[in-house]
Amino acid sequence: MPKLEHLSEIVRKQMLMWPCVEYDDTPWTPMAKPLSESRVGLVTTAGLHVRGDKPFIPNQPGGDTSYRKIPRSTPARDIVQSHASIGFDHTGMYRDINVTFPIDRLDELQVQGKIGSLADHYYSYMGALRDVTGIIENTGPEVAQNLKDDGVEVVLLTPT
Amino acid sequence: MVARSFEEQGLTTTGLVLIEEHAQRVKPPRMLAVPFYFGNTLGEADNPELQHKVLQSAFDLLSSDQGPVLERYPEEKIPDVMIQGSEADKTPNDDGINSPDISPADELTGLRAYYEQWSNSRNGRTAVGLTGIPQRRFRGIVRFIENYINGEDPDMKERSADIAIPQFVRYCVDDLKAFYYEARMAQRPDGSDADIHTWFWSDTAMGKLVMSLAEYMRNNPDPSVNTVAYGIAR
Repeated sequence: MPKLEHLSEIVRKQMLMWPCVEYDDTPWTPMAKPLSESRVGLVTTAGLHVRGDKPFIPNQPGGDTSYRKIPRSTPARDIVQSHASIGFDHTGMYRDINVTFPIDRLDELQVQGKIGSLADHYYSYMGALRDVTGIIENTGPEVAQNLKDDGVEVVLLTPT
Repeated sequence: MVARSFEEQGLTTTGLVLIEEHAQRVKPPRMLAVPFYFGNTLGEADNPELQHKVLQSAFDLLSSDQGPVLERYPEEKIPDVMIQGSEADKTPNDDGINSPDISPADELTGLRAYYEQWSNSRNGRTAVGLTGIPQRRFRGIVRFIENYINGEDPDMKERSADIAIPQFVRYCVDDLKAFYYEARMAQRPDGSDADIHTWFWSDTAMGKLVMSLAEYMRNNPDPSVNTVAYGIAR
């Protein structure tokens, strides 16, 4: 995002007033092996899902904290976006899914040997959450366990 | 928050963040603050070189010994700010393609060949699909929206019972926008994103219909309806 001072006053205030949970510390799991030997997962908050899967529900109080499972074998033509926010430009996604969900870029990195292997399943949440309790208590740990069961060691996270 | 949750469970995370100030407050383990707007997280569509540069910068954060790590990607290509419906230039633009008096349904039909050209050129990829209604039946969506604006109580058989009508209206609009934008990309392959936004909101009958829909929903006393209006057009 460009510097907040470059945005309109309304958008700048909206971003600054967003109800983020604030922390003093940071959890930390160091790398156990080089990336070239690691299994990598991809998780986004862009509100993506497999075509035909249930869309994210806009207007739930606090936002929708559910997630969708996207098999890595899913072609780009079968991944759609139901993010509730109108405040971002979908044109990039219309042109190229990799602008938010870099599935082809990760495949290329694996072929080049820069990534050891890729997870069998990727995941998507929907961002713009005003209440992250559902993430903290339920869907965050649930997806983390799914990734670990898949042998994932490193996770790349992308926003909308 | 997702990064924190995963790291607490023993996964090593790195990622991209669009609002640096939020990462400063939440303190995820490793984040690369990128200067791009929402919807263009890795910099630019159809630019693998730039996307790989951004990814490499995010993966470089994995070598840090302790966190939180929050670094900035050097500012480079930043897209134009998205033009909203109320901001588009409404001066009629006769480019010989879109008739100013055409109905939304006929206009949509006229764009179908371009839409299919776009999708076929991308191995069938399209953002259309939230409603589950095939694009060749989109004239029915237009009738549904027009009847909705007229105060009738329309519905469509494709709507799932757990999706409220206002939410389904939102999915209809998203599908129509995706159809139009993708058709325009085939019509004008060299056009900028700003050109497409301006075209849709100022030159098309569908843009006018969507603005009318948003106004109708904004004036509805039901808060669940006017909340949806905010997500349809501004």
